[in-house]
Amino acid sequence: MAFLTLQSLSKAFGDFTAVRDVDLSVAKGEFVSLLGPSGCGKTTTLQMIAGLVEPTKGTITLDGRDITHEKPNRRGLGIVFQSYALFPHMTVADNVAFGLEMRKIGKAERERRVKEILGLVHLAPFAERYPRQLSGGQRQRVAIARALVIEPPVLLLDEPLSNLDAKLREEMQFELRRIQRSVGTTTIMVTHDQAEALSISDRVVVMEQGRMTQIDAPYRLYERPATAFISSFVGKMNRIDAVWRGGRAEAAGLALPSEAASLSEGVAAHVAVRPEKIVLGAPGQGLFDGTVSSRFFLGSYWLFNVETPVGTVIVSLPNQGAEPVAEGATVSLRWQPESAAVIAAGAAA
Amino acid sequence: MKSRALTPWLLVSPATLLFLGLVVLPLILTVILSFHVYDHSTGIKDGFTVAHYVRVLTDDYYLTIFWRTLRLAALTTLICVLIGAPEAYVLSRMGDPWRSIFLLVIIGPLLVSVVVRAFGWSMLLGSTGLLNQTLRALGLDPVRLLYTETAIVIALVHVMLPFMVIPVWTALQKLDPAVEAAAWSLGASRFTALRRVVLPQVSLGMLSGSLIVFGLSASAFAIPGLLGGRRLKMAATLVYDEYMSELNWPLGAAIAIIVLAANLVIMLGYNRLVETRARRALG
Ligand SMILES: Nc1ncnc2c1ncn2[C@@H]1O[C@H](COP(=O)(O)OP(=O)(O)O)[C@@H](O)[C@H]1O
Ligand SMILES: [Mg+2]
Repeated sequence: MAFLTLQSLSKAFGDFTAVRDVDLSVAKGEFVSLLGPSGCGKTTTLQMIAGLVEPTKGTITLDGRDITHEKPNRRGLGIVFQSYALFPHMTVADNVAFGLEMRKIGKAERERRVKEILGLVHLAPFAERYPRQLSGGQRQRVAIARALVIEPPVLLLDEPLSNLDAKLREEMQFELRRIQRSVGTTTIMVTHDQAEALSISDRVVVMEQGRMTQIDAPYRLYERPATAFISSFVGKMNRIDAVWRGGRAEAAGLALPSEAASLSEGVAAHVAVRPEKIVLGAPGQGLFDGTVSSRFFLGSYWLFNVETPVGTVIVSLPNQGAEPVAEGATVSLRWQPESAAVIAAGAAA
Repeated sequence: MKSRALTPWLLVSPATLLFLGLVVLPLILTVILSFHVYDHSTGIKDGFTVAHYVRVLTDDYYLTIFWRTLRLAALTTLICVLIGAPEAYVLSRMGDPWRSIFLLVIIGPLLVSVVVRAFGWSMLLGSTGLLNQTLRALGLDPVRLLYTETAIVIALVHVMLPFMVIPVWTALQKLDPAVEAAAWSLGASRFTALRRVVLPQVSLGMLSGSLIVFGLSASAFAIPGLLGGRRLKMAATLVYDEYMSELNWPLGAAIAIIVLAANLVIMLGYNRLVETRARRALG
């Protein structure tokens, strides 16, 4: 059952439409990510839900109540800003207590809840510090605690991890998911980082130029990207130029195995195959042969660029401890038909 | 190595010389002068006396003027805070062409001499000035504003406002707009967000603005001179009179030193009071 619903939500700045006809229903307790490149309208969408940007068109419904025109201080949503927006002149405890104070909650109760939430985000020893005395990761957790302590029906996160360095970001992704699981708050997170969106969300909403183009579980999004844009944006993807002929995709005179597709005869298409779905073998034992032009060691896996008659193909192999195929070696490539999707070349950019 | 140790001293020496020559030296001379004996028939004589200080600090005439100076400077500062801080806030939230235009409108008056502006006010507020002509045209009684404390305060506020707006505006520039939005999202009304979140963060800007405005108002000369008339003297006009009309330079010097000391004590005390509180939170 939908808890938060956006209906044909749009926002225009002058004659520029930043968000166009967004429809989305989020279930209670769900963790949804808005994923898209910078400038595609993610922040604007989130701020419309938060009440900080007035929609040009459309409605927002929360738990059956129309909140489209409600003031932000009446919506009671928890928001974590990209810059964290902590109150610099208040201690961590006062920052967190602010929302409770606004709700006129008594001092004893306030202190108890602040203590509890600071424990949850592992910041109990820092209660009396000022934000400037904290590291980036700690500030981010203060911002989350401050938003969660008011027990909001929905938690909105705007690129909460983008200001952190790579290692801390990964840690905080797990942390964020852990906190969200233990509190059970419905959460919408904005991000331009596909790995982040895939790793922590229940569902991912892909946005392109103000529109939503796909809403799916991370696994489905990865395996079945709806548009060429998504396939290139989410994870690495080989796109082999081919022509649809006699019910098969043909490239460089070779028939490429793929899923069935309903395309008209002779139309240009892409065969989309994930690098990890391709199997390398001895020369002559696959669909076609190729030469390894370069390879990269990425810790848990290897990445190979293979020159083939159908173009350069990227192949990845898990690192199993042994030295893999050398650069310059000839290899054969093959994949299962169900691992390759055929997308008409004209379908979206 | 020795020359390197000298470099910083050489670098600051022009400024130091300027400061010594233009501030410290005249100040020392003024202090010395204030302890000289003065005789109405023969003028300044050698000999040490504290009589001028005693006279200034015990004579009601002088005390009234000091009290007026303090009162008007404090009132000007208060009004500048009340007008200037919201003005700076509105300015900081304006869109681009308007912000530059209004900033220019606020700073623009600084380009016109204080004397010219004081004359402008006296033409506006005079008994046949624009204000009273308008009142008469509307069939209302004219008001006497020129040569009153009200006129002095109005003109002082006009002159001092940029010195309040600019530091507050600078403090607001450093403020993340999302911080205010965060307060709203936590349930604060616009007013509460301003009071609890924005105001504390610009308090240092308001403090430095207040210090400048108070200091300049307490030592203002042209405005009380032109808009206060002969009767309503303030500290600076009093010193001027002692020097130029009474020719009692030692007494004038004593007044100047007392005003300087009082100004310093008030400003440093105020600074300590507010700043220690603000600094602790803002770092
Ligand atoms: N207040 C505004 N006025 C005009 N254009 C804006 C405003 N806010 C955002 N935009 C434009 O709307 C588009 C989407 O912005 P935003 O939602 O911030 O993107 P994202 O968060 O996905 O990077 C951008 O092209 C941006 O320039
Ligand atoms: Mg954004």
